[in-house]
Amino acid sequence: MKEVLAYPANYWQTMYEIWLFVAVVIYLVVFIPAAIFLWKYRYRKGVNEKAQHVHESKALEVLWTIIPTIVVIYLATHSFAFYRVQRNAPEKAMEIKVTAFMWGWEFEYPNGKKVFSFFNSVVNPETNTYLKPEEVNDMFKAYLPAETPVKVLLTSRDVIHSFYVHPAKVMEDAVPGRITHMWFQINKPGEYWVFCREYCGTQHSKMAAVLKVVPKEEFEKWLNQGMQTSEVLNKGNL
Amino acid sequence: MAAVSYRPYFSAGLKEWLFTTDHKKIGIMYGITSLIFFLIAGLSALAIRLELYQPGLQYMSEDAYNQALTVHGVLMQFWWAVAIWGSFGNYLLPLMIGARDVAFPRLNALSYWLFFAASVLALLTFLPGNHIRMMWTGYPPFSLNENAGPVAFYALIIHMLGASSLASAINLVVTNLTMRAPGITLRKMNLFLHAFLAMNVIQILGVPALAGAVTMLLMDKYFHTAFFDPTRGGDPLLYQNLFWFYSHPVVYVMILPAFGLISEMIATFSRREIFGRTSMIFAIWGIAILGFMVWIHHMFTSGVPDWIRILFSYTTVLIGVPTGIKIFNWVFTLYKGSVRFTTPMLYTLSAIFMFLIGGLTGIPLGLPAFDIAVHDSHFVVAHFHYVLGMALTLAVFGGFHYWYPKITGRMYSELWGKIGLVIIMIGSNLFYFLQFIVGLEGMPRRYADYPPIPEWVRLHELQTIGAFILAFGVFIALANLILSTKLGPKAEDNPWQSPSLEWLIPSPPPPHNFDKIPHMPEDWDPYNYEWLEKQHKKA
Ligand code: HEM
Ligand SMILES: [Cu+2]
Ligand SMILES: [Cu+2]
Repeated sequence: MKEVLAYPANYWQTMYEIWLFVAVVIYLVVFIPAAIFLWKYRYRKGVNEKAQHVHESKALEVLWTIIPTIVVIYLATHSFAFYRVQRNAPEKAMEIKVTAFMWGWEFEYPNGKKVFSFFNSVVNPETNTYLKPEEVNDMFKAYLPAETPVKVLLTSRDVIHSFYVHPAKVMEDAVPGRITHMWFQINKPGEYWVFCREYCGTQHSKMAAVLKVVPKEEFEKWLNQGMQTSEVLNKGNL
Repeated sequence: MAAVSYRPYFSAGLKEWLFTTDHKKIGIMYGITSLIFFLIAGLSALAIRLELYQPGLQYMSEDAYNQALTVHGVLMQFWWAVAIWGSFGNYLLPLMIGARDVAFPRLNALSYWLFFAASVLALLTFLPGNHIRMMWTGYPPFSLNENAGPVAFYALIIHMLGASSLASAINLVVTNLTMRAPGITLRKMNLFLHAFLAMNVIQILGVPALAGAVTMLLMDKYFHTAFFDPTRGGDPLLYQNLFWFYSHPVVYVMILPAFGLISEMIATFSRREIFGRTSMIFAIWGIAILGFMVWIHHMFTSGVPDWIRILFSYTTVLIGVPTGIKIFNWVFTLYKGSVRFTTPMLYTLSAIFMFLIGGLTGIPLGLPAFDIAVHDSHFVVAHFHYVLGMALTLAVFGGFHYWYPKITGRMYSELWGKIGLVIIMIGSNLFYFLQFIVGLEGMPRRYADYPPIPEWVRLHELQTIGAFILAFGVFIALANLILSTKLGPKAEDNPWQSPSLEWLIPSPPPPHNFDKIPHMPEDWDPYNYEWLEKQHKKA
């Protein structure tokens, strides 16, 4: 497989390209005849003052019922096949638990280590504007190993939020009283955004977090360095 | 027709307007209320776009933004895209079927005044302390939270709207089915009326689900029941199911009558019967029925079981089939026609091609493999702005121009009508097309602020510019329509030469519509343009 930034974004990308192709073809199939008819049958004095009589065409009606049916069923089936992979984490995936709250995220790692990220940890406190991911304080960042599938178990402490991993192009809602799941894998070390994608009140638009993806060895080192990174400083937010 | 002189219905005094049961006056009152709210919602949209012009919060707080967005969404959906059909439907239905009024004229007045009361309540939410900030979807448990605003107020508004819609729907269905003049069979009925009938049937079946959902919300918040509150054993997804069971079909409540207007106008200006008329009628009902079987596509990432997501992805994309049938038949209606490019025809053609983009971008949203990346992103927002903000709104504005001479007895300016449309099309495509792109790049929906990712910033700047161009176009179009009521030249009774029944009576129509209930001859049909010519020759 060619170098991909993140899984399962590659499946989304393929689905997107297939759809875009189909959509452009359909648009042209409708637009070109329409443009021709509009030009050819435009009203002109003395030339085309009256419409000609046209019979309905059963054949055409059947044609534009059957062909679109086949096209959409094909698309849905392709999506079905992809979705099984996008939805079900590989068996060797590392499992983390993410709990959303108004307004921030709690990440819990397999060994119990926790990271808290708050709406005010991704902004410049003076101007209340977004920082770049690299500018956010490391203690609010959820570290993840590169090239490793990560399965996320999601829930919420209060209202519905949604966990959207920007580079991986997947999201799933965090619903109070339920545990939902999703998975992704980021291959290139770097810092990436997570956004809340379900409206949850005043600070919804600042309910972001930073994923810091590092090589596996570095991640192991970080994981075993103390059990908690950020909570103490931000008790007021819980 | 005998030259009896009468006062046009709109020169009535205030008292007559307030106590009227005349369907034409009620239709106009719906239209004016709806337009005023369209403008309020439009202004709140401009405020939103201004705030998104640059990252950071420049002009308003997060709470003010969230309130503006809630107001925009609720008003555009319920006061514009749904209520505007109260206007067209009330005005046109009796005229098109040869009736003097609707079946229950007083009930009709009650429907309007309930709607009016809901409108007043909606305006009261602007008062401090009444601000509602839970978006038009109002998902619990958030909507049970103090942060969301007064739920009781919201529930009351929805109930008043719901009662108004139900009363109106039953009234108009009965009118349609029982009061058609002799000779107007279901087969010969205008396509707008088929669409309008389907719309009202959807309302009757769907409104109770929404009414139930907001009632349960109200009880959870104030009477300590636990339908949706997970801390006491409730399930928040129950609300989403009830909400979307109505709120998906409601998008067809909005768009089906717009399809109807498109069919009326494209037939008239191609001088031809709609191509494939029978399959058009089947497509309307196909959409109405399938529309009740797709609601989970709004919940693909909500935690419902995977097999349900797959099942509903198939039903969702299948809706594209009857929708496609309509589009193909419109295109073939142009075939061998005699096409006249009047302002309403240009609006109609724009509506069709913008709807095509809206429909084609709806299909991938029905594919979970695609939707998991764009759900609750600006891509979805762009999708429904192509179908509602453009296709529906263009069809409605087309309808305003088309029936303008009928309603006012005067003609608007064709030149300014076309200028308005061109500006609207430039502005809205600049705005909404870039909204797709920023959505594909991940921009979350309902965000007052966003990180300063350079492409996002550039896309947002251009969108805001597009929004202001769009607003300017709407201003020109409406100014033309308003000023022409005074300055426009007197219109002929039937300027478009349409045999549809509403055009066979004087413009504006006499107060009681028809002196005698008309008996429509065998060879008459609302789209038989040759019949009309024969009548002219006879006369
Ligand atoms: C070809 C037909 C259509 C298909 C397949 C389709 C599909 C979809 C899907 C799957 C969604 C949910 C996307 C998401 O939230 O992730 C959606 C959203 C939406 N659609 Fe469509 N759609 C179609 C036509 C329409 C029409 C005709 C209208 C309105 C007149 C409409 C209005 C909306 C609205 C308002 C939403 C957003 C609701 C919200 O979350 O606030 N759609 N559409
Ligand atoms: Cu949120
Ligand atoms: Cu829907």
